[in-house]
Amino acid sequence: MTAEKSSTPVECEEFQQQLPEIFDSGVSIADHPHLKTCALCSSLVRDLEYIAAQAKLIMPIHDPSPAVWDNIQSALQQDGKQGKDRA
Amino acid sequence: MIKNTLQTNDSAAPSMPVQPLTSEARPMQQQQRRNPPIAGELTAIANAQQGDGAAFEILYNMHKRRVYSLCLRMLGNVAEAEDLTQEAFLQLHRKIGTFRGDSAFSTWLHRMAVNVVLMHLRKKGLPLVSLEETLEPSQEDGPRKDFGTRDLRLSGSIDRVTLERAVEELPPGYRMVFVLHDVEGYEHNEIAGMLQCSIGNSKSQLHKARMRLRSLLKENAEGGTGA
Repeated sequence: MTAEKSSTPVECEEFQQQLPEIFDSGVSIADHPHLKTCALCSSLVRDLEYIAAQAKLIMPIHDPSPAVWDNIQSALQQDGKQGKDRA
Repeated sequence: MIKNTLQTNDSAAPSMPVQPLTSEARPMQQQQRRNPPIAGELTAIANAQQGDGAAFEILYNMHKRRVYSLCLRMLGNVAEAEDLTQEAFLQLHRKIGTFRGDSAFSTWLHRMAVNVVLMHLRKKGLPLVSLEETLEPSQEDGPRKDFGTRDLRLSGSIDRVTLERAVEELPPGYRMVFVLHDVEGYEHNEIAGMLQCSIGNSKSQLHKARMRLRSLLKENAEGGTGA
């Protein structure tokens, strides 16, 4: 893809340094003036938004195996027994 | 006996007079909107604080999946993830008496799990891509001249499985912030609290994580198409 681009590298650098704050601000990034003239930064923003959107679809993994709770119980019982012995 | 200091707000609790929203209270309300207390959770916490084993088991069953998910996403290894899940809940058992309800319980528990994971990674000597690193832009963060060569959405090759694999390839420090923010939905102020870094640092790490993922996904997509 050969993107037409009239923005200067300095403008791109400034824009990209602001990106973490812009993303977090909740304002519509699509309306940013730089994106109206810079195809490269527009593509970057599209990709980063896409990645963030896909991440939300990653679901919790399944439960840990029952052995985890069994081990926790054993450790707690052991702790309790040692506490009584010390008393 | 540990004194129960929880301000219970279970639905079964008597209604309290509505207090004006203070600036201190606002973040807590935001957290509760996103992480609303699970039905019966506050009662279980209060009972577990009194040493009730059955109540602790209820809390384990409520939160085991999210804690385990965090551990597994950070470690990519079932056995280690299960060990650290166990360790996180043992720490919870030791410290539950200190939970005062200043933040959502799940956030508090996640902070504990995050610490267990970070300790483990440090013991293993894995580079975290320092969470303490400054916000000075590195070369990696500078403007890239090669972007725009492929639109991930257009490539059609990026799905959840591919993204999960790419996340596993992130350095642990980036991965932690990405998982907490983009996957688990925590806010930067909560992540900063969990990782004991500044909010700006959390934002910066997240941005770097997404940039790194973009590179990884592009490499993957180009490899997949034989480019």
